[in-house]
Amino acid sequence: MMVTDGTADISKETLQAWKEGSVKAFEEVVRGAMRRAYAVAVGIVGNAEDAHDLSQEAFMAAHKARATFDVERPFFPWFYRILRNRCLNFLRKKAGRREVSIDVLIEKPGRSESPENCLMKKERAEALWQAIQELSPEHREIIILRSFQELSYREIAETLGISEGTVMSRLYYARKSLYGKLKDICRDLYREGDDQP
Amino acid sequence: MRYIDGEMSTAERAAFEEHLSSCGECRQSMDELGSVERLTGMMKIRDPQDDFWEAYWKKLFRRLERKTGWLLMIAGAALIVLYALWKGVTDFGEITFVKVVALLLGAGFVILLISVIRERLHQYRTDRYKDIER
Repeated sequence: MMVTDGTADISKETLQAWKEGSVKAFEEVVRGAMRRAYAVAVGIVGNAEDAHDLSQEAFMAAHKARATFDVERPFFPWFYRILRNRCLNFLRKKAGRREVSIDVLIEKPGRSESPENCLMKKERAEALWQAIQELSPEHREIIILRSFQELSYREIAETLGISEGTVMSRLYYARKSLYGKLKDICRDLYREGDDQP
Repeated sequence: MRYIDGEMSTAERAAFEEHLSSCGECRQSMDELGSVERLTGMMKIRDPQDDFWEAYWKKLFRRLERKTGWLLMIAGAALIVLYALWKGVTDFGEITFVKVVALLLGAGFVILLISVIRERLHQYRTDRYKDIER
């Protein structure tokens, strides 16, 4: 199954050259996947600095394990498992001492940008980020992949190595849990939606 | 979920909407979950500045270079120590300053090696995520 993994600019030739040891090709692979790797890592560990380090460590581990990569398969799902493992190990070591950055999420540019609106948007983004960070790592990653990486169910299933049914079930419980934490914001949003023409 | 995420076909969507019009419970659930999806859809993860991405590869390359350098250096040092130990055991002869230093280096190396192996074993036994496929 061929999956669009957001790193389509990494050609099969580049991946093959990387597998054969080309540092130039490795640079291309890293440049093609670094943004997504960082975004996913920051979603899982919640901290920009740690996400930077962990995504780099994952690239180093991937480089070391490149002989096991099948160039006929998309790069990101394979790489994601290495990255995820690193992030989960990191969280396990940190246990209750995890530092969460507060300004990772921002609201996409919208209609009116009055000062009150800006403040409200900032608070809304922080509340959502906080709520996401309180989810279990499994629920957190499914929200990151679906809502911020905009992967389809099929792509998420391929990336995580689970069925589409499990993707839906995890998404359901993750969103249910987020709703429980953000009821007021969600209701306001719902009303705002009703007010729109 | 498929309804909220636009993963339904047109026919499935029409059938589900018909069901929603007569089922208050499902409608409420869709409203709640849909509002969460709407909220997350309004947000994005802040993308760092361009210089962050420029430095990203350079830092990674430096880390890789240093790691390789350290590995080669440790491998070389290990070989020297092992050779010195072997020479010391097979041909000890008179105690000299060089032999004492080699012995100390060898002892330190063996202790560090045992310590690292013990730590790795402990980590492996207590690692809850060891079964996660890479």
